[in-house]
Amino acid sequence: MGTCLCDAFFDDAARATVEVLEYLGCTVHFPEAQTCCAQPAFNAGDWAAARRVIRHTVGVFDGELPIVIPSGSCAHMVYHGYDLALEGEADADAAPRFARRTWELCDYIVNGLEVREWPGTYRKKIAFHRSCHTRGTRTAESALALLGSIDGLELCTFGEQEQCCGFGGTFSVAFPNISAKMGRIKLEHMRDGDPDAIAGSDMACLLHLGGILDREGVALPRVHIAQILRDALKSEGLLS
Amino acid sequence: MKSTKAYPTRQPVDRYASDLSPSVQESVYNASKLKTEARVDALQRDFADPDANRRLAGAIKQHTLDHLDTYLEQAESSLRENGAAVHWASDAESANQIILGIMQRNDCRRMVKSKSMVSEETELVPFLEKNGMEAVETDLGEYIVQIDHDHPSHIVTPIIHKNRQEIARSFEREGLGAYDDDPTVITRRARDYLRSKYLEADVGLTGANFVSAESGRIVLVTNEGNARFSMAAPRIHIALVGIEKLVPKDRDLSLFLSLLARSATAQCLTVYTQFIGGPRHRTQRDGPEKMHVVFLDNRRTEVLSGDCRKILRCIRCGACMNVCPVYRQASGHAYRGVYPGPVGAVLSPLLKGKEFPELADLPKASSLCGACNEVCPVDIPIPELLLRLRNRAKHEHVSLAARGTPSMGIWARAASSPGAWKTALSAGRLLNVVPHGFLNLSSPARAWQSSRKLPPFRGGAFRKWMRERNPPKNGVPSPDRKSEPDS
Amino acid sequence: MKDRDTILKRVRDGLAETPERTPYPEYDPACAVMRQPHEFSSLWELFAWRMKSVNGVPLHGWNALGDFLRERALKFGYCDPEYTEAIAAVCGSLDITERFDRNDLDRYEFGITAAAGAIAETGTIVLTDAATRPRLAALAPWIHIAILQEDDIWPDSPTALKRLGDDPSVIWVTGPSKTADVEGILIEGVHGPGVQVCCVV
Repeated sequence: MGTCLCDAFFDDAARATVEVLEYLGCTVHFPEAQTCCAQPAFNAGDWAAARRVIRHTVGVFDGELPIVIPSGSCAHMVYHGYDLALEGEADADAAPRFARRTWELCDYIVNGLEVREWPGTYRKKIAFHRSCHTRGTRTAESALALLGSIDGLELCTFGEQEQCCGFGGTFSVAFPNISAKMGRIKLEHMRDGDPDAIAGSDMACLLHLGGILDREGVALPRVHIAQILRDALKSEGLLS
Repeated sequence: MKSTKAYPTRQPVDRYASDLSPSVQESVYNASKLKTEARVDALQRDFADPDANRRLAGAIKQHTLDHLDTYLEQAESSLRENGAAVHWASDAESANQIILGIMQRNDCRRMVKSKSMVSEETELVPFLEKNGMEAVETDLGEYIVQIDHDHPSHIVTPIIHKNRQEIARSFEREGLGAYDDDPTVITRRARDYLRSKYLEADVGLTGANFVSAESGRIVLVTNEGNARFSMAAPRIHIALVGIEKLVPKDRDLSLFLSLLARSATAQCLTVYTQFIGGPRHRTQRDGPEKMHVVFLDNRRTEVLSGDCRKILRCIRCGACMNVCPVYRQASGHAYRGVYPGPVGAVLSPLLKGKEFPELADLPKASSLCGACNEVCPVDIPIPELLLRLRNRAKHEHVSLAARGTPSMGIWARAASSPGAWKTALSAGRLLNVVPHGFLNLSSPARAWQSSRKLPPFRGGAFRKWMRERNPPKNGVPSPDRKSEPDS
Repeated sequence: MKDRDTILKRVRDGLAETPERTPYPEYDPACAVMRQPHEFSSLWELFAWRMKSVNGVPLHGWNALGDFLRERALKFGYCDPEYTEAIAAVCGSLDITERFDRNDLDRYEFGITAAAGAIAETGTIVLTDAATRPRLAALAPWIHIAILQEDDIWPDSPTALKRLGDDPSVIWVTGPSKTADVEGILIEGVHGPGVQVCCVV
């Protein structure tokens, strides 16, 4: 699943996801009819609208193949949103079936494919934001394990690592002041260790944090973890 | 963001936060952060698997709620055996009348009050005052709230929004001595003044942190000792108790007390933990001759019958507000109810009953980051409950809740129609793709973009790349999940 | 009784629609007992260490209590009749009374009463209505001294819960009375004692 944000803004993160999966020996199918996981409507409280999109998505990804998503929040939506939105509906059992096939990218690499060490080099200091949707899950530790194993990559430690970036989808629209403050606090912490880039496993958080950096005129790069994994491979000629 | 008028679509909690004085905001933020860190340290230091204890406590509470009729009847008969009179109040008015009635029948004029969130719900103090009774709050923070005619902004630390200078001015105004903002002096003055109040009082009113159905013991925790004093000097004790406060057995209390103290204040145990099983002992000189317990419903049964019943597990520790990034910016009064923070965003609208729309915006005051669930000592899935209430607000067409949230109808049509989606992508227009809110056209988006910039639009670029390449053909490993994805 | 029946009916009606009811979980309350940083040679050692960590004052033996009373130059206080002789023996200079006058609370520099037990795990003293008399003498003076038999130190809170018995007012005391309501600054001695002593005899 490519995610709507990658579809609209972050094509390179989606490309990197494909390249990384192919490096690991997967054939990647991208069903052209896919749109979005339905999270915006679901979080906004419009579950009728969300169901419409969920049913579309479930139909598009029909079959047995694992569904890999380069986004913690979309995966979380599939795990926890689909069953709530379909609660009491005739097709409620579609939710757990779909959830069992769904993986967040790092979870798939580490816990699915059992790849714990990443080859290649990446000579940068990274401040990694473990997105809220990975709270209490294995995804964040999977991502950190992969990053920690890359030669040359230095992970910054910073305060309040658990804190939210403040995005929350439409939350950032209806609560622009609180949301932006949360983002600035997050960035202040992340920039403590003077990183070369900020990274995450969810483009939604990076959209928000990047948006604040751009508005403030700070040229600090932001990268998706798939891009780091891919670039690490490329630097050693493991990927063309 | 200077002007709140420029963005009419902003939510009330967001407006409140931007109007809050920077000093209040800073003290709320810092205090909350410190308490959150201390809580984590205490739990990790003391237990190998604190999460297991949270989940266990949640299961015990849920069990109690799922059998609440049985436990309420059991508690009633245990309390009676202990010599306490048991009263039942459907709503706030009825609870207040019962308490007034007890005072009148026993020729009581004065009450000292220990901290009780339920009495804030029923607005007991103003009610008693209107009926010619004196009622004095004895928790230091609550006392200051009372003399300032203010409201608590936190359920554990009620005056987190006040600084010592303000408090010192209030004390001076109340004739408790010349201006002195030394916290020790403030505390000593309250000690001296409230002692006279305890001794004069006929009634001591408390809440209850827990009630053991098995033994009928009321369990109360305080650090200051005001609940002890309220039950040492006056001759009558009244406990006002929400019906959800029950736990099945005495043996369950170790778990709950250990979680409550650590979650609230990072203590191993609160300084005073009282187990009250009736009026004073026959050999005891001090303490109440009579004990009354008032069980209050006040729409709890309505919550119990709905899909947000898990919120009734709450043991009022305040950990969810301390960790909440929205609470930290907005402070407690932004939530316009007795219970602030994430728990309040769920509970306050629910306790409104038919007036739900008045507070239906609160469930939107969350980025759904999930920190509240992670710290909750009874594992309440607060984000799920917030989502359910957002859905309810949408169903009931509550305009306040919808404020600032882009309409999802057009978006959903596009997102369930591949043709429309692709057209939108290739046309380089965001409309229908990402919710309207991020468009330059609408007012909410202008607010958004005043502090953030959208990245350049690259709609369709990935799909084009995907179509035009010749990917290597491998296979697709379909590993089995060894455990749940989010475990 | 109208409200009682209404509430119970509402509860039953509400629960009728709950398809699955959570069972009471089988568990060992020992899961709530905290781990200690190192081994302690006795319950007294653990209790004393824990009590100090919450700013309490643990003392061992009458002589230690005598020293404490003299060091603080205390003059007047209440003492449970049970202990007046023992106190007089270790600190003869004190003016102690066996009468506690609630109308003169602040005259008493200290109150000496019995404790019914203690919890080593948390450094907690257990007061009961039957043992600790009168309630105000253990609460109002700035210094409260609880006298405890060493055999009555229990290991942990689950054990203490089993010993609640039929006393109508059991109070677990873990350190001196305190507040952090004003700017989060810790102040000891709010409504209760500012100094909490436990003397094991």
